[in-house]
Amino acid sequence: MVREFELPDVGEGVAEGELLRWRVEPGDAVSEDQPVAEVETDKAVVDVPSPVDGVVEELRAAEGEMVPVGDVIIVFRVDGEDGPKATETAPADDTTAGSGQQTEVGATAQPAEETQSEPAITQRVQVPAPPSVRRLARELGVDISSVADSSSGRITEPDVRAYASPESSTQERSSQQTTAAEQRTQQAAPAQSVSPAQTREVVDRETTVAVPKTRHIAAEEGIDLDTVPTDEQKDGEPFVTLEAVQEYAEAQQQAQQTDRDAVVERAAADEPARPESRKPYKGIRQTIGAAMTSSKYTAPHVTHQDEVDVTALVDARSTLRREAEAQDIRLTYMPFVMKACAAALQENPQVNVSLDEANEEIVEKQYYNIGVATATDDGLLVPVVENVDAKGLLEVASETNEKTQKARERSLSPEEMRGGTFTISNIGGIGGEYGTPIINQPESAILALGEIKKKPRVVEADGEETIEPRHIMTLSLSFDHRVLDGADAAQFTNSIQKYLQNPNLLLLE
Amino acid sequence: MVVGDVTTSTDVLVIGAGPGGYVAAIRAAQLALDVTLVEKGEYGGACLNRGCIPSKALIHGSKLASEAGQAEELGIYADPTVALDEMINWKDGVVDQLTSGIEQLCTAAGVNLLKGTAEFADENKVRIIHQGEGQGSESLKFENCIIATGSRPIEIPGFGFEDERIVSSDGALNFDTVPDELVIVGAGYIGMELATVYSRLGSDVSVIEMLEQALPSYEEDIASIVRKRAERLGVDFHFGYTADSWAASDGKAVLTAVPADEAAHDSDIELTADRILVAVGRRPVTDTLSIDDAGVETNAQGFIPTDSTCRTNKEHIFAVGDVAGEPMLAHKGSKEGEVAAEVIAGEPAAVDYQALPAAVFTDPEIGTVGLTENEAANKGMTPVTGEFQFQASGRALTANRAEGFVRIIATKETERVIGAQIVGPEASELIAEIAAMIEMGAKLEDIGSTVHTHPTLSEAIMEAAQNAREKAIHRRN
Repeated sequence: MVREFELPDVGEGVAEGELLRWRVEPGDAVSEDQPVAEVETDKAVVDVPSPVDGVVEELRAAEGEMVPVGDVIIVFRVDGEDGPKATETAPADDTTAGSGQQTEVGATAQPAEETQSEPAITQRVQVPAPPSVRRLARELGVDISSVADSSSGRITEPDVRAYASPESSTQERSSQQTTAAEQRTQQAAPAQSVSPAQTREVVDRETTVAVPKTRHIAAEEGIDLDTVPTDEQKDGEPFVTLEAVQEYAEAQQQAQQTDRDAVVERAAADEPARPESRKPYKGIRQTIGAAMTSSKYTAPHVTHQDEVDVTALVDARSTLRREAEAQDIRLTYMPFVMKACAAALQENPQVNVSLDEANEEIVEKQYYNIGVATATDDGLLVPVVENVDAKGLLEVASETNEKTQKARERSLSPEEMRGGTFTISNIGGIGGEYGTPIINQPESAILALGEIKKKPRVVEADGEETIEPRHIMTLSLSFDHRVLDGADAAQFTNSIQKYLQNPNLLLLE
Repeated sequence: MVVGDVTTSTDVLVIGAGPGGYVAAIRAAQLALDVTLVEKGEYGGACLNRGCIPSKALIHGSKLASEAGQAEELGIYADPTVALDEMINWKDGVVDQLTSGIEQLCTAAGVNLLKGTAEFADENKVRIIHQGEGQGSESLKFENCIIATGSRPIEIPGFGFEDERIVSSDGALNFDTVPDELVIVGAGYIGMELATVYSRLGSDVSVIEMLEQALPSYEEDIASIVRKRAERLGVDFHFGYTADSWAASDGKAVLTAVPADEAAHDSDIELTADRILVAVGRRPVTDTLSIDDAGVETNAQGFIPTDSTCRTNKEHIFAVGDVAGEPMLAHKGSKEGEVAAEVIAGEPAAVDYQALPAAVFTDPEIGTVGLTENEAANKGMTPVTGEFQFQASGRALTANRAEGFVRIIATKETERVIGAQIVGPEASELIAEIAAMIEMGAKLEDIGSTVHTHPTLSEAIMEAAQNAREKAIHRRN
């Protein structure tokens, strides 16, 4: 028995994935649930497990290939069966049926019951769209099967354009409704610089009188006499002289030359010969791009900035770090900040929300899941630590370490990146002070931490003011001004400051 | 490309000038790339020289001869004699005309043509070994490469093609005389087409097939129409046997076939033949390329796996046609060749056809496209089918060719056409209409409501589509 295995929906509702790596080769024996491939979706890298015990017969996708969900990626031969014989029948429309010999070539053939090794064809998702429209979809980066999902009938060019950019298609549709006359004027509008000929009145007479030589020259120049401007008349009919024709022809040529120059100029401007290389914008990079663009342009971002004196926190961490090491846990500042944020969110529930625009509701969340933005070779991933409020510091630390490590190894599951209510981005690890982070939607706020630096600060003690070196960390809190106002952000930041200035307060949490 | 004794270079190197390679080369040249096409033999590949084209020529010639002699019903009395050597000469003329046409098209498009065998030196360089001893070789660097080396007939153990009595399809298209006795191993499309040719030309043809059906990859009701017709032409079928060995005797070959399944048949059979045609399939040509040196991966059968842009595991190396896997069809290769060239030129191309038509030039012909009813059901669809028998087609009757039928498959819920099988006169041409309809996303009604010329065979397509909707006029629905 041959078993064809289609790429399952490895995320939830992803349409395709990039086959990163095969973990098996044809001929390998596999057991059920053994990972056979790594697939990167726009959300994560996922191991695809084998559905059966058997032998890998054929790999139907190349590493690096984008595979639509539902396409056969691998074919297994299920145990208890011989491999194919050279003599078994070949698929339709190609190889000839065999007669029955084992050859040293594996065969190109399969038994009739499993005919039609036409994976690429028969497994193709049926899309009711003609080739020209499918090509347009690829050109515009539109997934044609998604367009199919949104329309019940045959997919047309306007459908694809509408899917690609809703606005332009509205214009397109409305222009389809304009009158033919209007359309003509639109089309006639000069695309390039205005040329002498175009500045003149446009003429189109019924009849024109001219001497034969003039007619001959006009024909040679490809000029319609009825369009040549003239004030002269002969026998009550418009009369065109040879000079008028020549002048008109010259103006036309000049106009065309101007257009040609413009085209050449544009082409030259398009292609500077500079050393540059290109790489595909796809996968996680593309997903981040889409998410950031969408966030920036839907949520009015405001960034509230402040600093916090973390001298006590630096001391607390250096003491606790040894305790943590004894338990094999690396203790960074991040778990303290996470605990502080969870506590501050509890004090400022208006920040722990997301906006459900579709239902015109603000969702207030009574759980505190904190995302930690993690730089990886492929871009930024945000693993989420759940219920930070309910976990101890060391528990938060070890879970955060584990998840950020997984993010760097690209082994996070989509579940581990979902359900956050607030995100922290530690830019200070690399350097820098203030930033304007972009909100990780559907959350409503994000906190960027600057580097902890020693800075001179005025310290009040016993009524005395002195300038002392203090450990200072900067805070940049971007918030969604649709649901939060400046006062909310300031209060929330003050809460965070309170816990970071005095980490002992976290003991009460 | 500068030719000299230094290493030269090219934007796109195409290896193999068959229907995949030459199309790729021409398209790449149209897209203003510098293209070099390397071919070791004749332009046009197996298709033009040893496959589609010469076989169709012989099929036509043999059909003319056999029909002229079998039309007493129409009041035509004739006893044609066939000079096979002259028919082969005519066929060779057709082949030459087409192959030289390919060469001219390539030259006119600005493709650099090189004669020789290409071997990869590394992933950016090939050595071109020129024909003949001492002709030397040259090296060629490439930015991108399209491998289009095609396929060759499979040999079976004990039946090597060294002996002139054992031939592949290549040899069977070039017999000097019509063999008195011809044994064909394999009842796939090549075996069945050539069985038809030589039985029409007067050979006693026997066909051995391991499975219990001719054309086993086609549905039984289609294959049996072709088998019955072949039996009426005098072809003997031995189903359930495999060719085991052969021995020379009195200048002839005596073939021993053994039961494929001991339970079904209990004894061996012996068949005497002037020629034994081995037609058990084709295998990709990837063994002559030093393909490992380019780092290009092949699968267990020797095919080069590719993605929907025809890319191999190497970003800049593509594979098209037979060498890139099943189905081995010239038109699939040509499509892939176009796509590979366009992808290299940065265009948004992909192999994304909705359905791939295919034809078998037996008597009657078979044309298929898309899914069968079973395949659709196995994919979880609910298929509806409509059929129309050529027995009810005025045009088929006037051509005295009323065997077979048109079957159209659509999905029940959308009535979108997803496949068709035609067995009958001109099926290979008729299938094109349905391929276009599927590609355009047509529904049953779109085909059924398109006015078809009367009286033509194509009306059967309209009627089959209407039958699926229970609206056919010339049959009970």
